[in-house]
Order: sequence, then C-alpha cells, then structure tokens
Amino acid sequence: MSVRLSDEPISDEHELSQFRSGLEGEGAIVTFAGVARSRTPGGEAVDRLVLDHHPRLTSRSLDEIAAAARERFDIAALRIVHRRGAVAPGETIVFVAASATHRRAAFEAVDYMMDRLKTDAVFWKREDGPEGSTWIEPREDDLAARARWSEAPCPE
Amino acid sequence: MSRVTGGRRIVRIGFFGRLREALGDEREVPDERGETVARLRVRLAALHPGAARDLLSPGVRACVADAIVGEDFPVAGQERVEFLPPLSGG
Repeated sequence: MSVRLSDEPISDEHELSQFRSGLEGEGAIVTFAGVARSRTPGGEAVDRLVLDHHPRLTSRSLDEIAAAARERFDIAALRIVHRRGAVAPGETIVFVAASATHRRAAFEAVDYMMDRLKTDAVFWKREDGPEGSTWIEPREDDLAARARWSEAPCPE
Repeated sequence: MSRVTGGRRIVRIGFFGRLREALGDEREVPDERGETVARLRVRLAALHPGAARDLLSPGVRACVADAIVGEDFPVAGQERVEFLPPLSGG
C-alpha cells in the first residue's frame, strides 16, 4: 500500500511502472488519473488549480481511504499519489491504482477510492484564472457518488 | 497549553482554504477564560468582519489537536484551534 503527497508533477507512466514492479503475479491492474482541467464547468479559462492541505489531516485522510479500500475489496496492492500546491492544466492531480487476481475487485477498488477522495480527502481547491479566483465547494454529484458506498443497512 | 505573551495567555488560530486566503495562516488572540468554540467564532467574526460569514458558518468546522470538536468545546487553555472550511475533495 503506497500513499503519498507530491509537490512535483506526477508522471502517470512512472507511477504505473513503479506499481507494476511491486506486483506478485496478479492478473488485473486498474489505474485512474484525475487531470486538472483548462476550463471551469462554466467555460471560463483556468490558469492553475491550487490545492491547500492540512499538515497532518490530509495524509491521514488518504491513508484512511487506502486502508478502507484494502479492507473492502479483494485487492493485492494499491497506490495513491496526490498533488498539493499549484497544479497546471493538463497535469495529473491524483493517480490511483489497484491490482487484484481478477479485474472486478480492482475496478471497484479504484472507483471506491476516487469517490472517497472526491469527498473525504482533506483538501481545499481553488481555481485561478483571468477572471479571478474561486474556491471549489463540495459538489452534489460527488456526494451522491460517495453515498453509493455507504455501509448503512437497507431500510426494511 | 496556551502560550503566555506579555503577561497574557495566547491562543493560536489556524486557517485553511478560503479562510487562509482571507486571514492568513494563523492569528493569535488572547485566551479568554471559559470560552467555547461558538464564542470564539463570534469574537473572531467581530475582529474580522470580512470573514464573518465563513467564521460563523456551521459548515466551517473547528479542529483541536487534529480532531474535529463541537461548538461547546472549551477553547480556553488550548495551544491552537483550527477552522476548516468544507472540503473540496481531491
């Protein structure tokens, strides 16, 4: 289980290569890269995305999400690499990978980790552009995606 | 434990996200006996009216020693209290 914060640009190829080098014969690898957009949902240009973080709670939140994925899915290995600070459009914000004997667990683990990361990772994001800066609020669709994995019992 | 400066106890207040942008990384305020998080919010909002809406928002959570605390949590004597706006996620 490898989890880290990065101040430097993330190389997806390097991360995948490193991840593969630690595997032990699993038959499935699933990766996801979240990339900084060049425009807001409203179409305005974005010069950079800035991720503010907490000196301890941010790492703790990533570790907790990784541990929960390990607990929940039958995966052999996982990796989360997350940027902090200023991120240019086109750069990877987050790289997530999981390996498993069979593909379904790896797909689900990465899906789960991304849904958790989008809502529970301790970051505050700001988009800077020619028109000014905007702090990004929690999004309803991200919260709904997170709720898919709720462990609450079904109502009778 | 709050620090003593010039004969007065000081509590450090840490900010993140848009509050950090508005108020800086950290401010120091005199420690007031019996003060709760809720009362500290009101005091900070009076000191920084431009950030009052966020400081008084229930969506902005207070954190002490890396744990989220409630509005009745006693601030007096704490070294540092942090205010965390709603998370944007990763």
